[in-house]
Amino acid sequence: MSVSVRFRFSRKGPVRYTGHLDMLRYFQKAVMRSGLPARYSEGFHPHQIMSFAYPLGVSMETEGDYMDLDMTQELGEEEMLNRLNAVMNEGISVSRATVLKDNAENAMALVAAADYRVSLSGDTDKAADAVRRIMEAQEILIDGGETKRGKKKKDPKNIRQGILDMHIEEDGSLFMKLVSGSAMNVRPADVFDKLNEAAGGGLYTECICRLEIYALRDEKLIPLADADKKDA
Amino acid sequence: MDKSKRKLALPHRILMEAEKPARYTGGELNSVMKEADLVKIRFCFCFPDVYEIGMSHLGMQILYGLMNSYEDVWCERVFSPWTDMDAIMRREKIPLFALESQEPVKNFDFLGFTLQYEMCYVNILQVLQLSGMALYSRDRGEDDPIVIGGGPCTYNAEPIADFFDIFYIGEGEVNYRKLFDLYEEHKEKGYRKADFLHDAAKIEGIYVPALYDISYNDDNTVKSITPGYDDIPATVRKTVVKDLDGSFYPTAPVVPFIQATQDRAVLEVMRGCIRGCRFCQAGQIYKPVRARKVDTLMRYAEELLNNTGYEELSLSSLSTSDFPGLKELLERLINMCNEKKINISLPSLRIDAFSLDVMNKVQDVKKNSLTFAPEAGSQRMRNVINKGLTVENILNGAEMAFKGGWNKVKLYFMIGLPGEEDEDVAAIAELSNEVAALYYDTVPKSERQGRVTITASSSFFVPKPFTAFQWAAMNTPEEFLRKAAHCKTKVREQLNQKSIVYHYHDASTTIIEGVLARGDRRLAPVIEEVYRNGGIFDAWTETFSYQRWMDAFESCGVDYGFYIYRERPEDEVFPWDVIDSGVTKKYLYREWMNSKAGTVTLNCRDKCVGCGAGSFTCGICIQPRGGAA
Ligand code: SF4
Ligand code: SF4
Repeated sequence: MSVSVRFRFSRKGPVRYTGHLDMLRYFQKAVMRSGLPARYSEGFHPHQIMSFAYPLGVSMETEGDYMDLDMTQELGEEEMLNRLNAVMNEGISVSRATVLKDNAENAMALVAAADYRVSLSGDTDKAADAVRRIMEAQEILIDGGETKRGKKKKDPKNIRQGILDMHIEEDGSLFMKLVSGSAMNVRPADVFDKLNEAAGGGLYTECICRLEIYALRDEKLIPLADADKKDA
Repeated sequence: MDKSKRKLALPHRILMEAEKPARYTGGELNSVMKEADLVKIRFCFCFPDVYEIGMSHLGMQILYGLMNSYEDVWCERVFSPWTDMDAIMRREKIPLFALESQEPVKNFDFLGFTLQYEMCYVNILQVLQLSGMALYSRDRGEDDPIVIGGGPCTYNAEPIADFFDIFYIGEGEVNYRKLFDLYEEHKEKGYRKADFLHDAAKIEGIYVPALYDISYNDDNTVKSITPGYDDIPATVRKTVVKDLDGSFYPTAPVVPFIQATQDRAVLEVMRGCIRGCRFCQAGQIYKPVRARKVDTLMRYAEELLNNTGYEELSLSSLSTSDFPGLKELLERLINMCNEKKINISLPSLRIDAFSLDVMNKVQDVKKNSLTFAPEAGSQRMRNVINKGLTVENILNGAEMAFKGGWNKVKLYFMIGLPGEEDEDVAAIAELSNEVAALYYDTVPKSERQGRVTITASSSFFVPKPFTAFQWAAMNTPEEFLRKAAHCKTKVREQLNQKSIVYHYHDASTTIIEGVLARGDRRLAPVIEEVYRNGGIFDAWTETFSYQRWMDAFESCGVDYGFYIYRERPEDEVFPWDVIDSGVTKKYLYREWMNSKAGTVTLNCRDKCVGCGAGSFTCGICIQPRGGAA
């Protein structure tokens, strides 16, 4: 039997300085320790069938990232969470586990948008005004990067459409809802740089935290955990 | 204390500048946090190389686990900051800190270095300086940590003796507790470093180099080594874990987030080696061989996997094929690991019917290569070095393996062995050819999966203290390279040359390693000079500079050839004669003579040859078998 389970996880504190592949290896080991009935690939060196919705960049915290795991047995959400959380390293934990329906899409392909909280320091009193200017602008151009071979520069990209929401929270941090996915992918660090530019410099951030990742279903953004639930 | 709430020593902006910030943030699974106020001793354990290398070292995990099992001690870790971070820390004047608490190393009671290879010596100075401490022991104050060294290089740590307060000789499991008790006693009654060190020198295995005076003859050889007090021993005897099976084992080792060189659980089945290969230092200094019980190992394996989540388990020892319970252990491990989907890796197994059968079960034959370490090409040389592997052994093993589907073979050799002639070097090429030819004879054309690949590698031989070759002269770089070129030419002349890949190591590193291995205290200024001129990470080809060493020898007026290019006479006093490894100089000299005569010596299991390690009264030495004890 094979069943896919989507785990929602968070990572906080110093462990945020690990890279994406290291997180993958971390979770493989955690699943091993937890004794969850992971399903393994065939072949001489069987490995767990595990995938992540969105690579976590070095230094990014998260409260709502997703990891899909194939298991050989269906277990209750609470049991799965308890087993994994019992063997977690401090700073990493799982908050939801949803069993996916049979033909569920791969998490990475589902990603349509994500929320971020960005810590602000420096000339923070200039932040609110800069946010307003960005939200009022028609065009926010960022560097298009280089072509695959790295020879030519691509044209700048307008990411304004990809900034769905942006405001200053009561605690002074910056909230952003950004489009993600293959058609358009807006990186929080790029938006922060634009904000800083709009503020005339002097803004700093020490920590970006992803709050939630969304899929698009019937024109609506819904958290990945709810996207392909079994019996949903 | 919650690891995720720790305040990091490096600010965000600096971490983001680093190539791999997770080298410096600690907090890994199974790393140990304690309340600083509740412990009496803060011990900072340093592996003076980059994090990924150091974290792969079993010895560190053993002592880390053991020390942290003491309620009054908190052992933390530190590694050499990689070149990028080294530059940043100097620029920003950030003192080096321990990974767990993120507090400066300078605030600790002890700073302990594990000394695994000579080429890390400059990194010791890097760590001391980044910590804000004076390099020389004599220049450090009462409040500085006690700097202590352990590991194989302490069997002749004279070149770095002036930088250390203490060397711990032997297996740390034995007497660290005693040392800590003594330290606490001194702290309570009013601590003076000099008094503490004097008392420490009375503990077995504790060598306080400053308390021993070295005098030299006119020809630069050592004249005498004299203890400065009557109540400390004239020679420092290594400590040995008598009951290995009952000793501490780290079944919850720290699991790095970033991929370490060894990304697997390690099970040490045995310590020591029964074989006395004459070039091999490990074979002598870890004597006598002691094995763990299979039941114990099974329990450890289970705990290890549960506590780490590793997907691979590796058996570790100097020569796992000699482990008495190997068959039973592997059967049981394979059962357990199949169930848990764990891979087993088996380094250092001798190739025979049994090991091939096992490897067939645990590895993908097509992807893996067979490894033989004949160490020398000709049988004559293998007798000289007492390597009991014959051409028949190799060819029989290879034939079985080829029939079993293997088609990649690795062969390891050394060049520059004492008494070596050009024909012995050429024999490397001939042996490689024979193995290749055997493949084409054994495997019919229709069953061949492409061409067989024989990878022959040679390293250059370095004579080490406490081996039969400690009296031997080393080759010059020119000789090394000439011989390697000769070997290469010979490889090209072979019928199956297209199936043979030949590699050789760097000769210049070997020279420096040789000097440091058998050097004395007069080398300290040279090491300092190399370091001051920018030398760090000498063990890495991209950062090593031969010229920097040559310049330093020159400016310090040291003739490095003295340490490596002469054959030493029988009665020469060695700088490392201050260490009593159990193995006697008399036995080693006998072995040196046997080597010159090309006479083979039996291993400990077949016959005890009375090497001296029997005085530890444990392990193989007290088991019944042939010969005199
Ligand atoms: S088998 Fe020989 S080379 Fe290997 S550890 Fe033993 S003595 Fe050393
Ligand atoms: S005393 Fe004998 S048995 Fe013991 S290590 Fe030496 S040679 Fe081997």
